[in-house]
Amino acid sequence: MNNKFDALKDDDSGDHDQDNISPKDCEKEKSEDEEKDPNTAKRKTAVPGAGEHPLQYNYAFWYSRRTPGRPASSQSYEQNIKQIGSFASVEQFWRFYSHMIRPGDLTGHSDFHLFKEGIKPMWEDDANKSGGKWIIRLRKGLASRCWENLILAMLGEQFMVGEEICGAVVSVRFQEDIISIWNKTASDQATTARIRDTLRRVLNLPPNTIMEYKMHTDSIKAWEDFHGLVNPSGGR
Amino acid sequence: MSVSSQKTTSRAIPSTRRVTISDAAHMPHDYSTTPGGTLFSTTPGGTRIIYDRKFLLDCRTSPLARTPPCCLPDIPGVTSPAVSTANNDTAHTKPPLNNNCSPPAHKAAGEDAQFEMDI
Repeated sequence: MNNKFDALKDDDSGDHDQDNISPKDCEKEKSEDEEKDPNTAKRKTAVPGAGEHPLQYNYAFWYSRRTPGRPASSQSYEQNIKQIGSFASVEQFWRFYSHMIRPGDLTGHSDFHLFKEGIKPMWEDDANKSGGKWIIRLRKGLASRCWENLILAMLGEQFMVGEEICGAVVSVRFQEDIISIWNKTASDQATTARIRDTLRRVLNLPPNTIMEYKMHTDSIKAWEDFHGLVNPSGGR
Repeated sequence: MSVSSQKTTSRAIPSTRRVTISDAAHMPHDYSTTPGGTLFSTTPGGTRIIYDRKFLLDCRTSPLARTPPCCLPDIPGVTSPAVSTANNDTAHTKPPLNNNCSPPAHKAAGEDAQFEMDI
């Protein structure tokens, strides 16, 4: 491959390389008489039901899909991402998860995001702006299982890094899939090392697996350079 | 009341056990385990609700976990079967919701040891 999209390769993990969702793609959701944008509308905070097992945090599932063609922008990324729903207990999690397709069966350029309630799966969110993510590239066929192990570890508080975890993303791409986990403070090396070690453990990764940590500020810079939003000579 | 009770001597409460770690190999495999093997549910940052993978998977078959969520948005190909008229994914019309829990089918692969993989 030798084209300009290689520039995005390093960061092709559920971020701003997204375009507006096409009218066709969202006609289904829009035609239902939803008067408000579900991403911003005031939602009732989920609470654990009677007899359910509460989670340490509430979480929300999001979905995004890229439609090729138009250039992406930060705004269109936000419009493109759709919240599926939020939950507060183990049982509520399974209700959503069991009614969603597995990431390995998604088509096209799609992402599932699972973030703590109140944190948008965007670099610019207050919880994310000083943060970063661990990225693991997976050959095709592994995404569904790895994603499940990753989110079960996150929901079960296996990472033991206090409030640091923000969320997780699985990105389905043409030749590979990518899973990543985001944390609040990219400069906190004790935390990022612990997250890395926990990832190795819960994903059962072979020792030679390449794991890459990327700060969101670098992702933003690379994205802006690529899209010509910042004069390249001034940027770096 | 017998007089013998007055002869009881006091002893320290045997609740503290010190485990000396001299090698990294003595450290527990799990972060949720302290050296020496005691499970704890309270971390220095405060009490946290910790579940392991097996427990979470076991909850999946609970009746409470199997009712569909309310307000699930209809996203063809994601939360409902893909519809061939919705977009150009015409080839992909088979029902994609094989994520639904069907315990017998998934038991072997889903709830046992984790798989090995090479990347």
